[in-house]
Amino acid sequence: MTKTILKLNNLRKVYIMGVKKDAERAQKVIKKTHVKYEKASASGDKQTANNLYEKLEHAQELFAAEKYVDSYKYLTGKNIRPDKKEKGVVVHALNGINLEIKEGEMLAIMGPSGSGKSTLLNMLGLLDEPTTGQIFIRDTNVTSIRKNKLPEIRSKELGFVFQSFNLIPTLTAIENVMLPLKYSRTPMFERRRLATQALQKVGLDDRLHHTPNELSGGQKQRVAIARSIVNNPAIIFGDELTGELDTKMTREVMQLVIDLNKNGQTFVIVTHNPDVAKLCGRTITIIDGKVAKNK
Amino acid sequence: MLEIIKNMWRRKTRTILTVAGIAIGIFALIVMGSIAEKLNLLVSGGTNYYKDKVIVTAKGNTFSLTPMLLSKKPEIEKVQGVQAVFGETYATLSSDLKAVSFGPPASIVSEQYGASKYESFQTNIARGRKLNENDRGKAVIGSDLVKKLNADVGKNITLHGMKFQVVGVYEKTFTTPDTSVAVPFADGQQIMYKDQPEIIRKSIEPSQIVYGFVVYPDKGTNPDTLATRIEKDVNDVTAIGPKAFSDQVTSSVGIFNSMIYGIAVISLLIGTLSIVNTMTMSISERVREIGVKKAVGAKNRNIMTEYLTEAGVIGFIGGLIGLGLGALLVNVLNSAMQQTGDTIFLLTPRLAIGALIFSIIIGVIAGIYPASHAVRLSIVKSLREE
Repeated sequence: MTKTILKLNNLRKVYIMGVKKDAERAQKVIKKTHVKYEKASASGDKQTANNLYEKLEHAQELFAAEKYVDSYKYLTGKNIRPDKKEKGVVVHALNGINLEIKEGEMLAIMGPSGSGKSTLLNMLGLLDEPTTGQIFIRDTNVTSIRKNKLPEIRSKELGFVFQSFNLIPTLTAIENVMLPLKYSRTPMFERRRLATQALQKVGLDDRLHHTPNELSGGQKQRVAIARSIVNNPAIIFGDELTGELDTKMTREVMQLVIDLNKNGQTFVIVTHNPDVAKLCGRTITIIDGKVAKNK
Repeated sequence: MLEIIKNMWRRKTRTILTVAGIAIGIFALIVMGSIAEKLNLLVSGGTNYYKDKVIVTAKGNTFSLTPMLLSKKPEIEKVQGVQAVFGETYATLSSDLKAVSFGPPASIVSEQYGASKYESFQTNIARGRKLNENDRGKAVIGSDLVKKLNADVGKNITLHGMKFQVVGVYEKTFTTPDTSVAVPFADGQQIMYKDQPEIIRKSIEPSQIVYGFVVYPDKGTNPDTLATRIEKDVNDVTAIGPKAFSDQVTSSVGIFNSMIYGIAVISLLIGTLSIVNTMTMSISERVREIGVKKAVGAKNRNIMTEYLTEAGVIGFIGGLIGLGLGALLVNVLNSAMQQTGDTIFLLTPRLAIGALIFSIIIGVIAGIYPASHAVRLSIVKSLREE
């Protein structure tokens, strides 16, 4: 039990990994352990009492995971409308979108060009703000919090992978991956360690010091994925992330995405490619700014 | 910092030209400023010298060499508030007055023995000794004249045809004493006498000739008030107190300073505009990167800091190069001029540090407009930028 709990440092993953039962069991364990702890304390058996106290602490920690069970819906969008004026004309890119994204999901957003899928992604990823509607991350309404708090949320909770990789050309692969850590004020030595780990995960530990122009398209996108996962975000948004890759590289990159998703990483991917959408657990189709299909 | 250097190096030629613009501005500031610093020190030395005394010379000839008679001394001594009066002589070191000279020309000076008892402006001896009351044919020379006269303690020098033995060398003061030779009063009178036109020589005894008088006021007597009183009570003299000196010299130095700093600032302004241009171009080329940085968590403050630092670094590097080149030129010219004893540059630590800080500030100020433009960019629009 204790070992299980120790592994669950990231409580969000308690649910994703299907150990909800552990959380329920934890409540029972806490009660029982507490009784035992009181007995041991009363009898003066300090060592047993200390061990039980430690166990109790971990169990209480797991018990706290229950609130994440309640926040099963990680990201919720309610009636999202980004009505913006362009050259004096109000453009309705989205007509009141409602959707929920669950932790551990791999969601594809499809739709014809101009349907508003990238606009939706930008709203959900807090890169742009809706004129009406609300976006919730767990229980927090992020559309109502101050703008200067958004970079911190983007840096710690969200990751982005773009169609054209968007790597900084003067920086090496590891420096590009370290970028989100820099802005989340991670200490320098920790940045290097985490970035190396992230590049290892995407199979590029032999390309740490290569600049983007020394990498292939697939490798560039893998660096971009490493950059998106380095801060261990809750959700990663991919905007046509295979759009500039050939079939072989698309397969490679999507395999990497699937592997990361299997380990509990949530993905929301905007794509034109039905083959990519097929690999996702759920697909939303947007037509004329509305959800036309959700299956 | 490495990222900033890499960014600057993306467009090498453009960065080098911008740095060169600042370097030229700072170079001008250092060279011009060194002239101003030297002049300011001379003026400050003069102000310090004049602060507690009155200089009396022949009427209407404030800084001229028109001689006076020593017999005027008792008249001045009688003026209320006068503590002591000493005659002094003055002659230029070179017989030919230069058409253009920076500051007072190298000179031969002497004063009646005993003035040092009242004098607050003390010049220390670096080696050798000061002049004694009974000395004749002896001289103490300023530090800048050691090379010019090829003289040092124990060596002989010839001044206006008269031989002198150097008995001491003054400590460097960076002001007038550095280019002065002090001789016994009687010898000073001889030199001054020899310099006069024949018509004056015929009408005056060498032992009577003086350039003017140094008047020390009583304790509690304002030297400016005393100067007015002397001019009123003694005929045919001009008396200069600290205020008169300040009025005549400091104001004209102020104009000179404004002119030379003005020229340097114009050069810097051009450099500043080139930084604005460089940073604006640089940002327009990196709009998408700004979007990416914001998407991965950069705050406006981070972006602003990055671009201001980049602009500041450009200013700093330009400043460092300008300072180096300026210091080199100032040293080369000063070394060359030391042979003539007429150095005109003084690169002070405050000028060097000030110029460097100024270059960084200019860089940062020049970066404000482009950097604030960068932070205003919307993330989505930035990411769409090609």
